Amino acid sequence: MSGNLDGVRVLDLAGEPGHFAAKLLGDLGADVVKVEHPAGDPVRHRGPFWGHADDAERSLVWLAYNTSKRGITLDVTTPRGRDLFLALAERADVVLETEAPGTMAVRGLGWDALHARHPRLVMCSLTPWGQTGPYAGWRGSDLTAIATSGNLHCTGDPDRAPVRCSLPVAYYHASIEAALAVTFALVARERTGRGQHVDVAMQAAMIMPNMATASMFKMNGSRGSRAGAFFRQPKSEQREIWPCKDGFVSFALRGGPARMPGLVAMVKLMDEHGMASAALKATDWKTYNHNLLTQAEVDALSAEFGAFFLSKTMTELFRAAVERNLMLAPANTAREIDASEQLASREFFVEVDNPGRGRLRYPGSFAKTTSASGGAAVGIRRPAPRLGEHTRDVLAEIGVTEAMVVELRAAGVC
Amino acid sequence: MGIFAGTTILEMGAGAAGPVATRYFADCGATVIRIESKARPDFLRTLKLTPNTPGGLDAAEHFAVLNVNKLSVALNLSIPEGVAVAKRLALWADAVAENFAPGAMKKWGLDYATLVRERPDLVMISTCLNGQTGPHRFYPGFGGQGSALSGYNHLTGWPDREPLGPYGTITDSLSPRFAALLLASALLRRTRTGEGQHIDLAQVEGGIVCLSEALVTFAANGEALGRVGNRSRHEVPHGVFRCKDAADGRERWIAIAVHDDADWRRFVDALGKPEWATDASLATLAGRLARIGEVECHVDGWTRAHDAGPLAARLQQAGIDAAPVQDLGDVHDDPQLAHRRQFRWVDHPVLGRHPAEMNAIVFPDTPADIRLPAPKLGEHTHQVLRDLLGMSADEYAALESKGVLT
Repeated sequence: MSGNLDGVRVLDLAGEPGHFAAKLLGDLGADVVKVEHPAGDPVRHRGPFWGHADDAERSLVWLAYNTSKRGITLDVTTPRGRDLFLALAERADVVLETEAPGTMAVRGLGWDALHARHPRLVMCSLTPWGQTGPYAGWRGSDLTAIATSGNLHCTGDPDRAPVRCSLPVAYYHASIEAALAVTFALVARERTGRGQHVDVAMQAAMIMPNMATASMFKMNGSRGSRAGAFFRQPKSEQREIWPCKDGFVSFALRGGPARMPGLVAMVKLMDEHGMASAALKATDWKTYNHNLLTQAEVDALSAEFGAFFLSKTMTELFRAAVERNLMLAPANTAREIDASEQLASREFFVEVDNPGRGRLRYPGSFAKTTSASGGAAVGIRRPAPRLGEHTRDVLAEIGVTEAMVVELRAAGVC
Repeated sequence: MGIFAGTTILEMGAGAAGPVATRYFADCGATVIRIESKARPDFLRTLKLTPNTPGGLDAAEHFAVLNVNKLSVALNLSIPEGVAVAKRLALWADAVAENFAPGAMKKWGLDYATLVRERPDLVMISTCLNGQTGPHRFYPGFGGQGSALSGYNHLTGWPDREPLGPYGTITDSLSPRFAALLLASALLRRTRTGEGQHIDLAQVEGGIVCLSEALVTFAANGEALGRVGNRSRHEVPHGVFRCKDAADGRERWIAIAVHDDADWRRFVDALGKPEWATDASLATLAGRLARIGEVECHVDGWTRAHDAGPLAARLQQAGIDAAPVQDLGDVHDDPQLAHRRQFRWVDHPVLGRHPAEMNAIVFPDTPADIRLPAPKLGEHTHQVLRDLLGMSADEYAALESKGVLT
């Protein structure tokens, strides 16, 4: 299976925040080599585990974000480990890392050292705050990166603390950003002939998800607020997440040319179930403007929509939404996503064989591509590597013999 | 010089998912040309529009921030002459990015299958909610639906309350990143092989790939992960705690993440070794998990006596991962974001001087920047068609008189 990044070699030194970045490059066809400390990436030792067995080869977070990579063990903090890494870097196009700024330089693997030996190499550093600046030395993670971006302040219920998504979205955002930063730098190299050290910051990556509203503070003075399941309009609060019979659905009372047909169709559906009042049916949706509604008007509408949703299941409502083009969506769990007929028809899920552990169903490619040769495939290339699975193969590519690997392993270098 | 200087991208679409993707290229020097229509304007131009909005379609703040550095051509695609001009632009550009509902481009004869017959190395990306194929392809939706379908709403919030979804409809911000990655990789492949491609990006699928942990966990163990507030299964405390209110009465909060037992020891020192914290049973993650509510209650009691900013700085000095919760105004005073020049100012003809945010990347050799404000609708019709596409003055005048350029 060939892809857009065929022939690109990536050395992935990244910890958890960047696991997904190198996986994306691998899904596009790059030859990604994950470099782990001989003790294994910390994520390997963390649950949840496949079958609940505490086993470094069954960590589900590891398995989820390290597909499409080969894996080697190498202690780059030792002199011999460093030299082997430098030899690997001389044949690579990209080094990706997530250490605290300055750490790579202390190890003799900083940008200046790598660039001097290999001017075409692209280095990408993904950190919470960035390579330089007053907080460059601060510790950080998903929670604190989102906290400082404005995004956390606006997520949650008004009567409780700001709240994050229970999975680390800052890592996802920043990892895609890092993969695209690497790809942009490879495009630049086509023209300049030189690599560069690109600096991706998680905090900065969480600004764009505010969808312009951080910049807009300087225009409208709005600092943002938490509205829970509601959407704040100038004159009212309008519910967007609604309880239904067996879960929750997302549905907005907003109008406008794109949304108006969905409101009309929803009222028709409610009427078919005898649940639309004469007043609701008399609404002129062509002139309806959600920005101008008073809270009393919103409350009257909400009472009718809310009662209807409570009488139906997520599945019933979504089926109607698909058939009638209602802008309503269920708040899916993994169970509903796994059972989606849309995803099934696109063959989205794939079975990945994990040697010795069995087959596991994965979300597959993040895009479908069409080309004359079929050579732009996006998707999982190989299972996540077992600890040190490819150490011999990869080190052999730089002339390290089998006997030397045995000796390096005994010395704790790999 | 920007990485994509000399590259031209034709953009047809609206909202955030498409336009934010092309902004990565525009910020890096590409000429990004939007095809727009006064009859059917980008909904971001109408988001807060009322009959009395001064400046009308050109005064939308959302649109202005997300579309800096781009050019706008007004074309009426409901008449064949308008579609013909759009097609010439599509065949002339280096790449086409569209995020209409599936089928719209085909209706105009601007779909990949049609265009590629005349431009064999065409690179084109189509982005929509559910993808170009499948039984739900025509299901209409915005980011609110994308967040719900891909699982983010269910995973965000408190276990005893409604699901919420991260602020900003997250699939609208994840998918532009995927789109820019895919488009750049396709252009790189074309320079190497000469072959073009069509990319079909479903926002819901991209969102689900990010949540692989949840899907793989369900496949492996049958467990559907749920929302747990700010807690973590392997870090305690891991939360957001109330601090002293600001002088103007605003609530202030601090985020604290104690990642392991070594962090805990540093944290106990930073707390001043109160009796509750020195309890040996809290020295391990298992011990803290067993008494998580009690630990959070103590931490909350402590943080309430402090100012969020200085407390975070103090904890960072002690080696603890902590940061103040900043609102949409605070981020403009953040010295780290200022250091990166995250917000850059531009003069907009209607809105005046305003900031727009950069992406999260510093390219030291080939810096990105903001050069132009977002375009007024149709502002560059003449410039693009006459100067860039090379249309004759007579043809331009004829199109103008027929009402094609609106």
